[in-house]
Amino acid sequence: MKKYFCKKGAIEVSFGWLFAIIAGAFILFLAIYLGSKIIGSSDETISAETGKEITILLNPLETSFENAQKTSITIPAETRITNLCSNETPFGTQTLQLDQKRFNAWSKTDIKISSYNKYIFSEKEIVGKKFYLFSKPFNFPFKIANLIYMTSADDVYCFKDAPSDIEREISNLNQSNLLIENCPDESIKVCFNSESCDIGVDYSEGEVRKGEEIFYFTGIENSDALMYAAIFSDKKVYECQIKRLMLRLEELVNLYKNKEKILQETGCNDDISTDLIEFGGLVNDVENSFDLSAVKERAEEIEKMNKRLECMLW
Amino acid sequence: MVKEFSKKGQMKIQQMAFMLIAITLFFVLVVVFFLAISLQGVRRTATMLEEENAMLLVSKLANSPEFSCGNSFGGSRANCIDFDKVFALKKTLNKYQNFWGVTKIYIRKIYPEDEIECTEENYPNCGLIKLLDKNVNSTSFSSNFVSLCRKEKFVNSIEDKCEIAILMIASEDKG
Repeated sequence: MKKYFCKKGAIEVSFGWLFAIIAGAFILFLAIYLGSKIIGSSDETISAETGKEITILLNPLETSFENAQKTSITIPAETRITNLCSNETPFGTQTLQLDQKRFNAWSKTDIKISSYNKYIFSEKEIVGKKFYLFSKPFNFPFKIANLIYMTSADDVYCFKDAPSDIEREISNLNQSNLLIENCPDESIKVCFNSESCDIGVDYSEGEVRKGEEIFYFTGIENSDALMYAAIFSDKKVYECQIKRLMLRLEELVNLYKNKEKILQETGCNDDISTDLIEFGGLVNDVENSFDLSAVKERAEEIEKMNKRLECMLW
Repeated sequence: MVKEFSKKGQMKIQQMAFMLIAITLFFVLVVVFFLAISLQGVRRTATMLEEENAMLLVSKLANSPEFSCGNSFGGSRANCIDFDKVFALKKTLNKYQNFWGVTKIYIRKIYPEDEIECTEENYPNCGLIKLLDKNVNSTSFSSNFVSLCRKEKFVNSIEDKCEIAILMIASEDKG
């Protein structure tokens, strides 16, 4: 009798419960799995859209004859922007990877937004909700590109003892994270005459020091475009972007050589093609920022030659 | 008695198996439906962003070093395209195929109007340069007025000649 009850009870209960448990577990598993997949893909979509929007918003930073342009980007969620740069031919790639904070943790996505005509100088990773961007043209000797400097509003840079024209430029930018006086203690100090700062700038030697790292900068006609790039950049990003700029410079040298041929057909009697070829060769040899000073002298000579031409090339 | 129970049990197991298959199919259909809708949305957003890119790019492209007049025509000029430079660029455009992230870049003279496409043979007596013309589905053109300047020989001197043109850009339609 005891055995019979047990068997009957076990069979009757087991099918109903078994079905409910297995089907329920199955439905729950599917729901949780699909839910997490959908959240993951929506994170990736948001990151991709935001990344693309940032890249698009960089277009208005292209300058014509003005000296600098600025803009800012505000993202609703706390965002980590990773600046990735590669310098493969023909022009290298500027890539931004965005991760957003969800439930106090970074949602890691593999979405990368790439462009070939942008040069963004920033730390490897910058975090925040608001990001400031300003741009300056880089001429060497002709315009190569606009350099874009990206900083988080949370990172405050304080410039001490800067030359008057740099102070004027920074105050004209009116960017709340770039200060020239009343520096908060936690700000990143950028000093032009002292070495006891986070970033030391030797303006006359064309060097920016960050701890053990040295960034070399130069420019035609006192251009400070590369100095700002060195101040706001990670070393690897800086060197990679320099190489990319040289790749574009080399192509522009070829373009001006071809333009000269067209102008000769029109009737211009100038010929600086040999000098341009030699300059292109020097540019091709630039491996890092240290090599720039060797090219600068030749670039200045080429600039003088261009100004003397009957039909100026640039 | 034992046989009866096992038949009933087998029936229930079959029922359960059918139910699980039905539930799986239902979920798969729901997911496919959801993905189709969200993919459509993503495609629409991608095309919209590409259009936005083209719209903002067209207002600034004339100032980029491959197009701009620089100081070649006496002082800096905004929205001025160097016709000679752009024609030289057309010859070596292979490397620039993906550079600006758009599919078509045309420059068309609008005054004096000229529909003839520029080639080695007819330059500069032509009115349309198809700088980039990828054979892909493209959005409608975004455009901007520019001055198109070049050097021209007049009797014994070289003069600057500027004409009104329109810069047109289209991007990929991903929808």
